[in-house]
Amino acid sequence: MESLIYLIQGFMIALTPANLMWVTLGGVLGTVIGMLPGLGPATGVAVLLPLTFTMGPTAALITMCGVYYGAMFGGSRSSILINTPGDGAAIAATFDGYPMTLNGRAETALAISGIASFIGGLLATVAIVFVAVPVARFGLKFGSAEYFVLMVFALSATASMSKGNMIKGFISLIIGLMVATVGIDAQSGVHRFTFGIMELQGGIDFLVVIIAMYALGEVFGTFQIIKEGKRKMQTKFGKIWITKEDWKRCIWPILRSAPIGFFVGTLPGAGGTMASLMAYNNEKQLSKNPEDFGKGEIVGLAAPESANNASSVGALIPMLTLGIPGSGTTAVMMGALLMLGLQPGPMLFQQHPDVAWGLIASMFIGNFILALINIPMAGLLVRLLAIPPRILYPVVMALAFVGTYSITHTAVSFYILVIFGLVGYFMHKAKVPTAPLILAVIVGDKMEQSFRQALTISNGSVEIFYRSNVSKTLILLTILSILYPIIQDKLKKRKAAMAN
Amino acid sequence: MNYSALTGVVSIIVGLVYSIQAYTLPRAVIGKPMAPIIFPLGLGLFMILLGIVLVIQSIKKGEFARGKSTTEKGLSYTAKLIIFTCTTSIIYALLFERIGFVFSTTLFLGSLLYAINGKKEWKVNVSVAVIFSVFVYVLFSKLLGIILPPIPYLYI
Repeated sequence: MESLIYLIQGFMIALTPANLMWVTLGGVLGTVIGMLPGLGPATGVAVLLPLTFTMGPTAALITMCGVYYGAMFGGSRSSILINTPGDGAAIAATFDGYPMTLNGRAETALAISGIASFIGGLLATVAIVFVAVPVARFGLKFGSAEYFVLMVFALSATASMSKGNMIKGFISLIIGLMVATVGIDAQSGVHRFTFGIMELQGGIDFLVVIIAMYALGEVFGTFQIIKEGKRKMQTKFGKIWITKEDWKRCIWPILRSAPIGFFVGTLPGAGGTMASLMAYNNEKQLSKNPEDFGKGEIVGLAAPESANNASSVGALIPMLTLGIPGSGTTAVMMGALLMLGLQPGPMLFQQHPDVAWGLIASMFIGNFILALINIPMAGLLVRLLAIPPRILYPVVMALAFVGTYSITHTAVSFYILVIFGLVGYFMHKAKVPTAPLILAVIVGDKMEQSFRQALTISNGSVEIFYRSNVSKTLILLTILSILYPIIQDKLKKRKAAMAN
Repeated sequence: MNYSALTGVVSIIVGLVYSIQAYTLPRAVIGKPMAPIIFPLGLGLFMILLGIVLVIQSIKKGEFARGKSTTEKGLSYTAKLIIFTCTTSIIYALLFERIGFVFSTTLFLGSLLYAINGKKEWKVNVSVAVIFSVFVYVLFSKLLGIILPPIPYLYI
């Protein structure tokens, strides 16, 4: 009940005309960035963050929510229309979304994607209302040792679950932690890895790293697409809506996929890509005619879209309640909160219930507004996709520099931006995932502090890290998360060997 | 060497350099002298270990000795564009506070557009660069209250 009262208060804060205007503006801008191939919600939030610097915390969060949702809706627009996903989570939308466009059903595809995303997001937000407080209360019991183990779990799960090679995931993670050690050590005052450069004394700002890796690194990666030239795209649309028959076929898959997405989203490292692929495969298995999937089956678009939005809401739970982001995008959202001087974690719900619940309320509102923007106005918005990327990408890059300057107030950070942009590009090239690095940069400092605090408490004995039951469970989960991909890989190989 | 093996080797080098740097860090005056060093040192050593595992993996797969699968003649389009972008960014960083936001950004965005969008569309390039710079300057400095370097001598 207490939660509901807070939620109503949250709505009262979020529902002022000014805040509604911000969420709409954030939504439109986020959609535009999300529609750009290769750029997803993380980039959207990172690049547009400076817009919120002078706003109050609530207005800023509401705007960021708009951007976050907008970028997710936008990502599927480009999947459906030009077969180019905005980010990993929108990949599943290309499987049946693009064939629908080829079959002349682009209007239906855009509409069902909007509707499914809306329902998925809405259900997940309802779930967050009930889950957030209990999780935060549980988090309050954590001491420094438990916190350290929790962070080890979250980071290693992200590293081991990332696509491809697990070792590469861990390398990315360690680079991130190394970056986090730069600067004056808070406990002893020792200058670490500053190389006598004054600007490095305060550490490398994680927001600069994020902007560099996502905005610059990803744009570098798209230069090849730019060279290939513009894809032809449908620009005239009929009425964007679905028939009753389509609705009847899709409603159950949408409702089924939302809980899958939500649950997968709350796990560290799993995220939208996995959630949407799981929902897609699930529906394919349940379908009476699985052979239609991939040829423009509407259910094959509705299910992953619902799961994707549900997972991105679910992913906010560990970030808000425990202060541990589970994905690149939520890491950026956490960066936004830290920038506003708010430390996400169990205390957020106690010390700033207005902010925590204002954020949850604005997720409801953001979802509504984005559905309004994306369904009736989709025809108008997607015309932006006709603007050549050759113009939009340079503008995104320029925005990255403006954003960096407004965070650090020094042009010296431009060098850091370029360096990490290159690091990001080469990591893509070498197929080293970037998400673990981003997460590590954000939590690295806190992780080291809790490590040392725990050791101070225990007088140097490492036993403190596995004394409590919470720690034991977390250590077990860490081991499982590392072993799971290895076992899965072995099983696959055995299956392949059996088939031969 | 393919990218995996190369990543392994780079990781070992980074790990080594970082560990040595960490070990030679000044000892803390307050509290335990090794306190600020243990965590970074652990990171460095772990990095070396990961690099070694990655190299062993690629040796096992027989990828290590094999040459790069794609040998490109000269620099690729992407590589050229990245080098151009980075050079422009460094010049941008040098000019940013000296000649002010509007001029430096117009130049920066203009040259990026010149390289990416092409010479033929110079009218579009110039107008996008000018409109973006002025619009962002007004939006940030006047409306959002985030101070960007003003035009020298004029201080508008």
